[in-house]
Amino acid sequence: MAAEKSLAIVVRMVEFSETSLVVSLFTRDFGKIGALAKGARRPKSAFEGALDLLSVCRVVFLHKSTDALDLLTEAKLVRRFRAGARDLTRLYAGYYVAELLDELTHPGDPHPDLYDAAEQALAELDGAGSVTAVALRFEMTALRILGHMPSLSECVGCGKPVEAVGRVAFGMLEGGVLCPDCRPGKRQVVSISAEGVKTLQGFADATTEAWRGQTVHPKIWGELRGVLNHYLANLLGKKPKLHEFLGTLAE
Amino acid sequence: MAQFSATLANLINHFAKLPGIGQKSAERLAYHVLRVNKAEALALADAIRDVRENLHYCQQCYFLSEQDLCEICRDPQRDPALLCIVEQPRDVIALEQAGAYRGLYHVLLGRIAPLEGIGPENLTINALIQRVQKGEVREVIMATNPTVEGDGTALHIANALADFPVQVTRLARGITTGSILEYTNREILADALTGRQKF
Repeated sequence: MAAEKSLAIVVRMVEFSETSLVVSLFTRDFGKIGALAKGARRPKSAFEGALDLLSVCRVVFLHKSTDALDLLTEAKLVRRFRAGARDLTRLYAGYYVAELLDELTHPGDPHPDLYDAAEQALAELDGAGSVTAVALRFEMTALRILGHMPSLSECVGCGKPVEAVGRVAFGMLEGGVLCPDCRPGKRQVVSISAEGVKTLQGFADATTEAWRGQTVHPKIWGELRGVLNHYLANLLGKKPKLHEFLGTLAE
Repeated sequence: MAQFSATLANLINHFAKLPGIGQKSAERLAYHVLRVNKAEALALADAIRDVRENLHYCQQCYFLSEQDLCEICRDPQRDPALLCIVEQPRDVIALEQAGAYRGLYHVLLGRIAPLEGIGPENLTINALIQRVQKGEVREVIMATNPTVEGDGTALHIANALADFPVQVTRLARGITTGSILEYTNREILADALTGRQKF
């Protein structure tokens, strides 16, 4: 059993006994891990209150080779998520980042770039960043890194370019836009405005930070939230728990 | 291979459902019940039955009580204008043991935890709003746990009470009396600085 070190975001916590916790951590170097934090609920534990949801910590853990939980031996707080004390929308968006990390990734599958994107998203939600924009950018980044990015400019049926004009068909099951030739007979197809498609393309573009300055009409936010909520629910096979709490995000 | 009798297996299964009790511990507890004298074993069964039949939540504050209203809500010496909000009945015990509070309580029976599917409708927040609506409460003290979920729950309640003429406060956070500043963790120091008081 080797001791491993990594930066980690706390994405889930379950009380295990009077004094211990089972935590799900999304680590930068080892991906998602489940670990037992013995004595973490004691006031003077080795974790010094570092283990709280959405906290960024520097952790040391003993990695178990079997299916058993890893053993967390140290957690040093790097940054606590404090928005929960001042703004519920920011808090729920932070929970949503944690839920996506937990649901979209598999244990022991590291994605340092996804970790960096999540840490940045949490820092912006904890600060003054636009909640709707930060949440959408994180969703698109996570989908891109994990290989689930919907096709936004080429038809998922035949690969031909699809021009964003008027309204564009988007196949939930196919995973992207559809040209007029491929659309007939497809199930779960919605239509998105051309402006909506262009906005999604802007937020999906990893090469630029132009999304920060993008002005989006509230109606388009509503449209995009509807499409992404539906797309993610299809991808996960269930509706993310936080979608209900983030109902007002597009307003 | 020899197996437990059906009645013993049933008892073991019930013990194994208790928090923190695994199969081996459940077997040990079951053997203990067989080993002690019959009166003691039946006293345990009676105690479990009594607590389930006689103990329930106070109709006003949701603390544990054997009557419609708990001992604290019935106490005329308590200040009904002060209402302390806690997550669990055990938090009431902890605050009572501190001996510094003479107001009433309201137990939420949990905290808002969206990742676990627990929303405001699963707690006693509506009952709290109805209590405040009656107009007797002057100050609501948030004593939820100082965690992300505890703070979120307190903020949700503070927003829900924003239209009522009550002062909403929360427990102070910071350095423990008797500790040394140099060895205090930076988050606690940040909390203490944010919540500093007039000398």
